[in-house]
Amino acid sequence: MKHYFITFRSITFAQRAERLISRGGVRCTMQRTPKWMEEQGCGYALRVLSQDIRLQAEQLRQAKVPMRRIYWHKDDGMFEEVAL
Amino acid sequence: MIYLDFGATSFPKPAGVYRSVLGAMASCANPGRGGYEAAMEAARQVYACRETAARLFSCRPEQVVHTASCTQGLNIAIRSLVKPGGRVVISGFEHNAVTRPLHALGAEIQVAGRRLFDWQDTLEAFDKALTPGVQAAVFTHVSNVFGYILPVEEIADLCRRRGIPFVIDAAQSAGTLPVHFEKLGADFIAMPGHKGLLGPQGTGLLLCARPGQPLVYGGTGTASRMQTMPEDLPERLEAGTLNVPGIAGLNRGMAFVEKLGTAALLRREHRQLKRCAAGLERLGMRVFAGEHQAATLSFLPETDCEEAAQLLAQQGIAVRAGLHCAPLAHESAGTVESGTVRVSFGWSSSDGDTAAFLRAAAGIPRFQK
Repeated sequence: MKHYFITFRSITFAQRAERLISRGGVRCTMQRTPKWMEEQGCGYALRVLSQDIRLQAEQLRQAKVPMRRIYWHKDDGMFEEVAL
Repeated sequence: MIYLDFGATSFPKPAGVYRSVLGAMASCANPGRGGYEAAMEAARQVYACRETAARLFSCRPEQVVHTASCTQGLNIAIRSLVKPGGRVVISGFEHNAVTRPLHALGAEIQVAGRRLFDWQDTLEAFDKALTPGVQAAVFTHVSNVFGYILPVEEIADLCRRRGIPFVIDAAQSAGTLPVHFEKLGADFIAMPGHKGLLGPQGTGLLLCARPGQPLVYGGTGTASRMQTMPEDLPERLEAGTLNVPGIAGLNRGMAFVEKLGTAALLRREHRQLKRCAAGLERLGMRVFAGEHQAATLSFLPETDCEEAAQLLAQQGIAVRAGLHCAPLAHESAGTVESGTVRVSFGWSSSDGDTAAFLRAAAGIPRFQK
């Protein structure tokens, strides 16, 4: 399992994504987006515990929930952006 | 008090609504403005309400914009579609919440369909009026004065086939009649939260098929460095702190409606409407009743309508008299000089309420002033 951050343009999209991903049995929690991840100012993100984040990304794409970025939170504490 | 003014607001609310308002006041901070529990709880309350509305009206949660009233929603919708001086078609039964924003824009207003309870007249008039060059059509689902249910599905179909954007005013229908956003294909549907949806005053919803023009600009809690409003719904149209206690109460009200079902609620209200209309006719009043009627009726006493309502009020009966903020509807029905007394039923109306009203109505003087 890996930790990921999915960032969103709005809290409403983050909330809709939270519902969709949790219904699929994947653990996720919503939180404020770390400041350095959001160049437009404030935002909300989902912290997702997933084996393959591409599945959740595809699920959100199909549901027309726009994502801004996805980051992999590595074990060493560093973040790496995942190509959407 | 015998409350028969559900067209103005629902009163009382189901008990759970009061509990939800108080609960939200005690547990919620500002939604979308923080990551701590009280802010997140506020955000959950707001989103839960969007989800309930999305189920009830067949749309996506992000298409549900929270407003302070149906009037605010109509203003957003109208300003999103109508340019100053633009041509707009409206029904002959519109509220001032539609006509005043249009007049403020200097719109060229064409009124279509003025015969009460007559779908053929309404549809023929819209068919004739919806011509190239019309910027938008705005029409009510149910007349707030007479309870006339307009053929909104058919009017919507005419608009869609002619590519004319349209707004539906669901002030008197949301929570009582089916309102299917996706099937209707409306650009906007505005509704109050405090009438048929049984929420608190100061709440409303605007269902949006497109982003629309903000009426108010300000903070949304996201994308703060941008000096324009976000493009995304619902935040684009929701600047400023939302009425979280009101929204929590509205969510509970809508859940109540969802549980009982609009069809069951309307059946119950119709029963009172029919008893009331028959009783008033027996008393010799002029009653405005027809085939396509929701749970609202107007009647014309022989005496002044405001004096009649005052007399009823003295006996503990709450009804509304006058023009009901809808002079156009009264012009259509020929009652703009007299006004009418309006009786409107709701979820808690009972046989006893109607009987008490009719007993009191029997005491209205039967002479012209």
